[in-house]
Parts: sequence; C-alpha cells; structure tokens
Amino acid sequence: MTNLLDDYALSSPLRYQNNWLKLAIVAFGLFAGVSSTSFPPLFFMSFCMAFATVYLGKTPPKLYLKLLLAPLGFAGIGALVLVFFMGSGQELYSFSLLGYPLNIRADGLALALLVLARAVNGMCCLYFLALTTPMIELFAVLKASRLPDSLIELSMLIYRYIFVFLDTALSIKYAQTVRLGYGNFKKSFNSFTMLASTLFIRSWEQGERLFVAMDSRCYYGKMPVFETKRPVKAPEILLTSIYFLITLALVHFKEITTIV
Amino acid sequence: MHIMEGFLPTPWLLLWFAISIPVLAYGIYKLDRLVSKKREILPLLAVAGAFVFVLSSLKLPSVNGSCSHPTGTGMAAIIFGPAISAVLGTIVLLFQALFLAHGGLTTLGANVFSMGIAGPVVAYLIYKAGMKAKLNFFLVVFLAATLGDWTTYVVTSLELALAFSGSTAEFLILFEKFATVFAVTQVPIAIMEGAVTALLFKYVINVKSDILVELKVVEAAVVNKIKGVSL
Repeated sequence: MTNLLDDYALSSPLRYQNNWLKLAIVAFGLFAGVSSTSFPPLFFMSFCMAFATVYLGKTPPKLYLKLLLAPLGFAGIGALVLVFFMGSGQELYSFSLLGYPLNIRADGLALALLVLARAVNGMCCLYFLALTTPMIELFAVLKASRLPDSLIELSMLIYRYIFVFLDTALSIKYAQTVRLGYGNFKKSFNSFTMLASTLFIRSWEQGERLFVAMDSRCYYGKMPVFETKRPVKAPEILLTSIYFLITLALVHFKEITTIV
Repeated sequence: MHIMEGFLPTPWLLLWFAISIPVLAYGIYKLDRLVSKKREILPLLAVAGAFVFVLSSLKLPSVNGSCSHPTGTGMAAIIFGPAISAVLGTIVLLFQALFLAHGGLTTLGANVFSMGIAGPVVAYLIYKAGMKAKLNFFLVVFLAATLGDWTTYVVTSLELALAFSGSTAEFLILFEKFATVFAVTQVPIAIMEGAVTALLFKYVINVKSDILVELKVVEAAVVNKIKGVSL
C-alpha cells in the first residue's frame, strides 16, 4: 500500500519529455479504447503503451505485471456478471448452481471479453501516465489549463499532505502490529478505529499549524509553480503520429470488414 | 467501489461527466465563498482530503475475511456538507487513479457521481434528519455512513447496468444482478465502515470536540450530553 506510482514516475527517464505530448497520447489511447468495438486496436494500443512504459520509461517489468494484475479483480466480477446474464444468442454452456440456472451465451461472452480487453487497454494507458509523469509536472499543466485556482491549490496541498500522513499512519500501524493490535478481528477493528481517529486529530492540528505557517509567509491564495520548457523533438512527433495512424487504421479496418 | 478504467463505453462515460461537472462547479463556487470568508478553512480542507486518501489506502479488516478500503466520504459529508465533499472526493479520486490505479480517468465522471455526489448527499441527509429527530448521535453517524456506502454501490450497479443494456427489460435484469453481486461483497464492508466512522467520531468528541462544534457539525449540548457533563 506504500507502493505509490508517483515514486516510480519521479525516477523515470520519460519524466523529462513534454507533458502535453504524454497527455495527448494517453487521452487518445483512452478514448480510442472505450469507443473501439474490436480487439486488434485494443491489443495494439495495450502493447505499445506497455512497451513505452517498461522499455522507454524503465519501469521494472515485474512491478508492471503485478500492477496490471491488481485491479483485474473488479474487472473479473463485472465481466462474470456480463458472461452469465447478458446476451440472447446461441447457448455455449449451461449449468445450474444451487438450483439456479446459469447460461453462457456467445454474445454475452464476446461482450465480456471486449470489456476486459478495454479495461486492460485503459490500465496500460493510465499506467503510462502514472509511471512516467510525477504529479508535480501535472500541476503545471493544471495551472496552464485555467481550472479554478482554489481547486488546484487544494489539490496541491492534499498532495503534499498525503505523504506526511501516510508516514504517520504507517508508523502507528507498525506500533500497533508489534503490540499484537491486529491479532484477531475484534482487536483489529479497535486498532483500526484508533488509528483512524488519531490520524484525523493529528491531521487537523497539522492543518491549523499549516495555516499559521503559510500566513506568516505571505500566502495570498496562490502558490506559483515553476514550469520547465520542454520542446517536443521531431522523432517523438514522428513516433506518436505513426502510433496514432496505425491505431486509427486498425479501428477503420474493422469497420470495413464487419465480420461479427 | 471504483469503476475501473476502460469499463464504460463512450456515450455513457460522457453522460456521467455531464452530470458530475455542474455539481462540481457548484461545489467549487461554495468552496470559494467559504475560503474568502474564512481563510483558515483551506489548509483544514486540504488535510481532510489527504486524510480521506490515506484512510482509503489502508486496508480495513472485514468480517468475511476479505479486505476492503473504507471510502471515508460519509465522514467528509457529515463534517463539510455534500457540495464541498464532492470537490474533495473528485481530487481524492483523481489521486487514487494516478497513484494507486483505483478507478480511472475516463470513468472519473461516473465514479465522482457514485462516490463523491450520491453517497455523500444521502449520508448528509440522513445525518441531518437523524439529528433533527434527536436520535442517538452515534447511531445517526453509523446509519449515515452505512447507508451512504450502500447508495454508492446501488449507483455503481446502476451505472454499470445502464452502460451494458440495450432495453429496459435487459436493464432491470442486469441491474438486479450487479446489485446482488455487490451486495454479497459490499454490504458487510459498509456496515464495518459505519461502525468505524461512529467510533471515530467518539474519539474525536472525547479529545477535540471543539472543532466539531465550531464547524456546526454537532451542537454543544449534544457534546455535553455524550461526555456526561451537565451545565
């Protein structure tokens, strides 16, 4: 739970590429992914994003695989519902569980697989952003995008304090664990509420101190952020456009040859 | 329960963004007004947001052996009201998507609606109604947090069922199925979270009741009654 993706992003070599280019690649992948209705473009995009993250972004491959598998639990539950209860076509397989009939139909299965492929593609795109772009870089983008100041200030302060409180929470948790605070269900319940409430009170006091500290340093509701200029290089544009064109071609190709 | 990246197809994810963004804009407007009136509220909101994030990244022990993450949105709704909870929830959901890969960017609109808007609104309404009816404070907090969580799951099932069904009949069947699957896994977790939230308020009232009174979450009379102080 302390494996924050941000830590890996900070040490990634892709960190020093243009933020807008990376955002454009990710946005393109996400939207092409959710609107595509066939597998080839999804596989192609997932592969490209995974390759870029692991090879160009130097993310440890083992960690990347673990990350990809982690959120699939949710995808699994959702896909199972779709497999069993969707579709009206040909029955592929059916059995009964506790007297309750369960049928797998061809179109339900196809839909579930498509949704799974989309989810994997989405995760690959999201990880490309999360593992190569630290939040600090994104704040500069947010500032340039003219979102309301209060929202950006609030997110910057939250970002800062996440790390402080995570540290506090972990040390409390270790202290509780070595005192057998998580020995059984009742104890863990008690320990958890104690941890949560102590954390709340501590963070509140921290917030009061933070206000005094910022006020005495002339905080006027805006923290300036330094944005480095990083021009997009020609090979990057070339590679990105090739990627976009192939994906669009794959999506289009499917539309011509509507097999299913 | 976050809807994962890439799970919702195109028209639906845009619809949920279209619903969430006006509420969020209203939340930001309220936040701006509050901050201009009471400047010290911004750092406090920031630490509350960070607290919700950290809480949601800790694992909560659950009865049926599985582990879950508390959402913490019920608590935010009780303390700050639903409009500001929507803003806090959106920022936390964005960080969760980018740091922990919970949820996603295209599904952010749907997740904000279920976890940042629907759940807190229900929690807040139950809390207000319960306090007006002068029920036991902890019971009200427990009910607000638990039912707020349940609302989140019902709305999530609704979002999923809507996205994958073609007709009304199909929608009803799918909605029932998604809701059943979530109910099995999530109902005990929601009850746990309600209990944790109620206990959390108990500790906070014991140690630092003044902040709750100052934010008009509870009246001083209620605090005195809980502490057993007679004036």
